[in-house]
Amino acid sequence: MAVDSFLIGDNPFIGVSHLSQVAARERVERLQLNRIIKVIEKAISSGASGYTFSTHPMNLQILKAMKDSSSIDASFDLYPVLPYAEGYVRMATEKGAMGLIREVWGRLPVSGKTRVLIEGGLSAAKFDAVRLLKAYVDMELTSYLNVKPKKCELRTVFMHDILTDLALSFEGHQLFDSFMQHVHEKYQAKPGFVTRNFARFVSFFQAHHLSLERIAIMTPFNRIGFQMNPSKNTCEACLSEMSEGEVIAISILAGGYLSLDEAVEYIRGLGKVSGVAVGVSSERHAEETFKKLRVGLANQIT
Amino acid sequence: MAVIGFGKMGILHSGIVNAIPDCHVTAICERERLLLRAARAFLPKTVALYKNHLEMLAKEELDALFVTTPIHTHVPLIADVARNNRDLNIFVEKPLAATYAEAQTACEAVNNLNGVYAVGYQKRFSPVFQQAKAFIEKSLIGELLFFRASSFSSDVLSAGSSWRFRKGRGGVLLDLAPHLLDILLWFFGEPSAIESVKRRIYSGEVDDYVHAVMSYGSGMKGSMDACWCVRNYRLPEISIEVYGEKGVLTVSEDFVKLTLYSEAEKSRVLYKQSFDTSVPYLLADPEYTIEDATFLASVKKGVRPQMGFSEAAEVNAIIDRINENTHPLR
Repeated sequence: MAVDSFLIGDNPFIGVSHLSQVAARERVERLQLNRIIKVIEKAISSGASGYTFSTHPMNLQILKAMKDSSSIDASFDLYPVLPYAEGYVRMATEKGAMGLIREVWGRLPVSGKTRVLIEGGLSAAKFDAVRLLKAYVDMELTSYLNVKPKKCELRTVFMHDILTDLALSFEGHQLFDSFMQHVHEKYQAKPGFVTRNFARFVSFFQAHHLSLERIAIMTPFNRIGFQMNPSKNTCEACLSEMSEGEVIAISILAGGYLSLDEAVEYIRGLGKVSGVAVGVSSERHAEETFKKLRVGLANQIT
Repeated sequence: MAVIGFGKMGILHSGIVNAIPDCHVTAICERERLLLRAARAFLPKTVALYKNHLEMLAKEELDALFVTTPIHTHVPLIADVARNNRDLNIFVEKPLAATYAEAQTACEAVNNLNGVYAVGYQKRFSPVFQQAKAFIEKSLIGELLFFRASSFSSDVLSAGSSWRFRKGRGGVLLDLAPHLLDILLWFFGEPSAIESVKRRIYSGEVDDYVHAVMSYGSGMKGSMDACWCVRNYRLPEISIEVYGEKGVLTVSEDFVKLTLYSEAEKSRVLYKQSFDTSVPYLLADPEYTIEDATFLASVKKGVRPQMGFSEAAEVNAIIDRINENTHPLR
């Protein structure tokens, strides 16, 4: 199986590094918007096929700026991840869990009539999880859809790992199901899930007859087993037994701990991975990374 | 098991514990109506929900209880559990209490009971900090001269409105600093003297910044800063530099670095990627899973946990000393 999605990850643009937070902070202070766009353009000319990003406010600016870039054409796809979880965790500290819920509820695109119904119904059993989830997805996506380059398609909408893995722990198959349905029907996009518990996620989907064929899974795969749970071996075995489904590997460099050559060799060896996402922080880094990934992974035969 | 307090930490521990083999969250107690409804909407119907913890304790058959409520409610809750459900195993989020006196009350409440009593200082389960502790114990940097330490976050970038900003219930010293203070206690033991300065930045009732200077019986000195108003910290970060006669040890959430002055000795950096951090189930950082699994293993075996109530009370003692020895420095 050849890798056909080469995605630019947003971590370096929003100050995330799994190797060193000090380096990440210095980098984000250095990386201005116009530099970020140049990095993205260089990544595209070197083989990147899409951008995967959390709904961090910085990404609104990036998407707006992408509109004016001539390097971005219809073959470049978008892969949003909902939500930018750290933002909510911070809000929970600042306003309390109650304050967070009130804030999000206030922002939800729920019409006046429905709002009154639900708020009134809070005293009854009207707190409908499915309805709330859908309204929430719409709220998170709308502002990004409004600013994105028109020619770029929304290829996959991912649920962030903190939500996926929470729902997975409580076996919330209905939540998964309604997320899949909503993303597919309303946005004509593929539903996706980021998880750091890959093996458990796959066996849960299989046990509940949820279709793996319809979804994309974004999950860490790297030579040293960083963030692969419950273990590297279990995740690899699970991947090799999968007969359907799109798997996009993240953390292939284990946050910058491994070299690109090591990452390419490892992902090649896995087979069955159909996409990779990597963050790049300079034009040189972007060129080197995506050229190497294309050469090493695009036409592999396993 | 049950969880009291379904806020940020309650949701996190519920998610982890429920995914650990043979463990099930069977009941949740939450006073806020809206949070309770959110729990009802998103959790399986098999999880019983309560507004009142006494009712939950009376009705549910539990093996363990997680207390993840605001700090000032920890000790009254622990006392209620000790009275009503003798020997129920309890895990409390850090800090154990708002003051050392309250922490002692918690210790006394469970003193003659047979449960396992643990407090959530999960940094002790981080392999990076464990390695730093091992380097110190092996005296690789020789006699310890001084240290400088910090704990920063971007949690508070305007005036906050939750219980964390109420006098005696929150503030940077009770909320963010306990992890760093616990690590300093773990690394160096109890300081013989403490002096501090503090200030408010956005908050009206509590401190947002604290600087403390510490002195130890060995002659070692050190200083620490804690502030939750520093911008661009995606996650809270701890950083400690220990200067010894033979070298410097630096440790943060991401890495531990040993710089040795002698050419014969090898300097080294170990990133967290150097350690096996795979866990049975990951939600947030692996330390939380290891912490919960370790607590549950102690429950099964009936042995004392690594971070029990009495160890946690020592952190409260340090917090009190920092408060008592604050200088106005006008």
